[in-house]
Amino acid sequence: MKNISALRLLVIMLTFSSCQKVVSLNLNNAAPQLVIEGEITDGSGPYTVTINQSVDFYADNSYPAVSGAVVKVSDDRGNTDSLKETSPGVYSTNFLQGKPGATYSLSVVTQNKNYSATSTMPFPVPLDSLTLNLTSGFGQQRIDAIVNFQDPPAVANYYEFVEYVNGQPFPRNNFVFDDRLSDGKYISLVLRTDSSYISSGDLVRVDMYSIDENTYTYFLELRQSSGTGAFNATASPANPTTNVLGGALGYFSAHTTQSKSIVVN
Amino acid sequence: MIKVFLLFLLITSSISIYSQSKHTVSGTARDKKSGETLIGASVSLLEIPRTATMTNAYGFFSITAPAGSYNLLISSAGYLQDTIQVVLSQDISVSANLTPKNDELEEVVVTTVRKDNNVTKPLMGVQKLSVKEIENLPVIFGEKDILKSLQLLPGVQSAGDGGSGFYVRGGTTDQNLILLDEATVYNPSHLLGFFSTFNSDAIKDVTLYKGAIPAEFGGRIASVLDVRMNDGNSKELGVSGGIGLVSSRLNIEGPIEKDNGSFIVSARRTYADLFLKLSKDTNTRSSSLYFYDVNAKANYKLGDKDHIYLSGYFGKDYLGLGNSFGLDYGNSTATFRWNHILNSRLFSNTSLIYSKYDYDIKVTSGNNNVGINSFIRDYHFKEDLQYFVAAGNKINFGLDAIRVTTSPGVITAAVGSDNFNSSSVPDKQALQTALYFNQELSLSDKINVNYGLRAGLFSVLGPGAFYTYDSSGNPIDTANYGSGTIVKNYFNLEPRFSMSYQLNENSSVKFAYTRTTQNLHLLSNSTSSNPTDVWIPSSNNVKPEIADQVSVGYFRNFKDNQYEFSSEIYYRNMQNQIDYKNGAQLIANVNVESQLIFGNGRSYGLELFVKKKYGRLSGWVSYTLSRTERQFTQVNNDSWYPANQDRTNNLSVVAIYKLSKKWTFTTDFVFYTGNAVSWPSGKYPVNGQPVFYYTERNGYRMPAYNRLDISFTLQGKKTKKFDSNWNFSLYNVYGRENPYSISFEQDPADASKTQAVQWALFRWVPSVTYNFKF
Repeated sequence: MKNISALRLLVIMLTFSSCQKVVSLNLNNAAPQLVIEGEITDGSGPYTVTINQSVDFYADNSYPAVSGAVVKVSDDRGNTDSLKETSPGVYSTNFLQGKPGATYSLSVVTQNKNYSATSTMPFPVPLDSLTLNLTSGFGQQRIDAIVNFQDPPAVANYYEFVEYVNGQPFPRNNFVFDDRLSDGKYISLVLRTDSSYISSGDLVRVDMYSIDENTYTYFLELRQSSGTGAFNATASPANPTTNVLGGALGYFSAHTTQSKSIVVN
Repeated sequence: MIKVFLLFLLITSSISIYSQSKHTVSGTARDKKSGETLIGASVSLLEIPRTATMTNAYGFFSITAPAGSYNLLISSAGYLQDTIQVVLSQDISVSANLTPKNDELEEVVVTTVRKDNNVTKPLMGVQKLSVKEIENLPVIFGEKDILKSLQLLPGVQSAGDGGSGFYVRGGTTDQNLILLDEATVYNPSHLLGFFSTFNSDAIKDVTLYKGAIPAEFGGRIASVLDVRMNDGNSKELGVSGGIGLVSSRLNIEGPIEKDNGSFIVSARRTYADLFLKLSKDTNTRSSSLYFYDVNAKANYKLGDKDHIYLSGYFGKDYLGLGNSFGLDYGNSTATFRWNHILNSRLFSNTSLIYSKYDYDIKVTSGNNNVGINSFIRDYHFKEDLQYFVAAGNKINFGLDAIRVTTSPGVITAAVGSDNFNSSSVPDKQALQTALYFNQELSLSDKINVNYGLRAGLFSVLGPGAFYTYDSSGNPIDTANYGSGTIVKNYFNLEPRFSMSYQLNENSSVKFAYTRTTQNLHLLSNSTSSNPTDVWIPSSNNVKPEIADQVSVGYFRNFKDNQYEFSSEIYYRNMQNQIDYKNGAQLIANVNVESQLIFGNGRSYGLELFVKKKYGRLSGWVSYTLSRTERQFTQVNNDSWYPANQDRTNNLSVVAIYKLSKKWTFTTDFVFYTGNAVSWPSGKYPVNGQPVFYYTERNGYRMPAYNRLDISFTLQGKKTKKFDSNWNFSLYNVYGRENPYSISFEQDPADASKTQAVQWALFRWVPSVTYNFKF
């Protein structure tokens, strides 16, 4: 639980002698892995599928793009869109229009290997408003965004929220939520960040997606494995369970999207 | 006349033939000053060494020998030996009262007493820790701590700075059965592992069984930690305690009726959080971080043959952040026991025990007021009979029944709470019953055996819905059972065997085989255990864990028992070990069993131990070389991989030096290999952010841990009425930043790079404590 980590921090502060530093580790260099990220939304197209390769941990964060792949997305109504590579590693749709309730299938062929994935776009859940939450304690102030919406009862809903400050993402700006314990309730969810990313005068934008269960599982496991700080490490970090078949990393998600912004005063 | 005389002769001669039969001397060994019973004291007849025995957990002993006059010798570490002349013409009862030794510089005293029990007794892998021994050991925050001191012994590993619990021979923290006056303690730590729940003021005896576990114990597969509380001074009222920088404690004990009954109450509390009250920030001011605990016990002698005891423990931890978050948790136990001496050779103990561990989380966020509660609770009945058959032959047998209820998670959302619904995962019920038998037999002068059998039945009970799952974790079948009906039975036989062969007066070899099973499992999916980890019982999906352990050891005493050396190798095979699927949801999950995966475990190692038991300089060196591994179909392609708690090398050195009459210096040094961890071997982008790529579980190691501590104890003026000392200690003398965790993130200063960040908990931690005793 995230709150346990805050408490451990409290215990540490009282023992007034803990510390943090950057260390240099001897990490293995795995062979480059193929990464496929594809999204189909209910907004206006085109939609993109990005194909990259992984790099070593201590290398720069620039990932080699994979060009010349044959990428197709079909829906369950008989339409197939052959995506065009509009920039290195980025493949865009031509005419496909995302619709809630439809099932989309992705097919990627590169270097003589086949990869595929399917995702069904859920029905949209309206995001009513974006508000702000201020927490203070131990001399620190933290401003977090709050998303407010009504969860539809008797349906399993999965949500993803992506947050931007002044148009920019920040580490772990991706949140997921499911209604397992909250079915049918009016939700006011605080998007708790690890650090102070939001200050007075900033423009905060949150995109809310209604996602399918596979995408929820992917981003939940991703978040769990990427814990930072003294107490967020999980005992068994692993590669998130992907819905892409064939041996690639990444995900393919068909989701609805809406967005709200707020200026912090 | 002559006929009467001949008849008389006939009768008396037949009486004298009849009196060649055996008689028994029995009794209780106590501390002369306080009346406390002495556990594990050595008792024997000087003339027949084979009668050597040890007092049981209530100080009771019984020796049977042919009629005659003997010298009964009773001795115990820290006491002057007592000799009582006994004439065995009939069964007699004696009371042995031993005088405590003064803590002065002492010459080695040559006695005929068995200081060599470690060599002769067959039970192997048993560590006894005396509270007197740990008195001077430097521990964090200056608090004497049994658990922290145990971790300095071979085969026992610390769970790390700030980690609660300990690992024994490669087992996990929930694989240790921790008993306080026979009641199970489910969470032996306070404040997320910085303190343990054992207040040494209240503790008399600590025994850790890691190799050969007697048949009377069962329920966990790695070890049994048997902690016994003091009974209380039955001669006069006493008050003692200590005041420290971070916590204080108070102990009050005295007679209920002189020599016939006594009570003891020990309490302590930390107050580190008082500093928070000085803050200007309202949230910080209303935060709390403290624990308190109370140990209480009373006992009364009803007659020559009966004695009753009532003991209990209650502890609570409170952690709270302002008004937004609160966590409280704690153990409570109560034990009622009745000792009954059926005859001079048959001792009975009947126990009724209650134990509960629970936690409560309260979250207030915006309009939400949510509480999460979870508990595990036992009702336990035990009947134990000890039959002292003859010299070198002792049997104990009995029955054990525990009714366990676990409540894995109840969520209460107050009316008007927006985000959450109230929900509850139904309670689970189970009954664990066992019958056991154990015999200690001295086969010859050289060979002693201790063997036994424990037959256990674990019954999973209704009421409730019991699910079966497919391989993806979806429920495919639900079976409903009514209250009290049996859903599933698991029957297990646990043979226990150990043997010692005396090579010569000073050395022996020992062998042991133990099978143990475990039906309560702690689900914990983080790098260190949390107080909110969930206990679940075995069920239709979760099978009992089973372990088989074999160990062989060589033991030798030097210089008239002043030095003790032991070396043991062990191998333990474990079945039905539990691990978690990726992204497992363990909290308040009705289908928590669908999140589990099952596999095998094995651990093996070599333990070396040298101890200098007395003299101006005393102490020990303990070294363990070991490996503990797991094998699961779903992890690392079904190959054996090191468990999280695998630590190849583990070294502890402890030295206690009496500088003068007033000053004692103690130091300890600890070194161990780091835990096995999973680190990335690459990275890739998701939504523009770097995500780390893992190739295997536990393929890397944390850096090794090492630390030196020192402590000075200054003895104050000692009168008949008052005793005191000051203790100054420094934990982590060279301030090493021992890594607590390492995590990976984007470099905040350079978006094109990722970095590894290490967190360490403690550098130097000094402390000062004042201890007093009236």
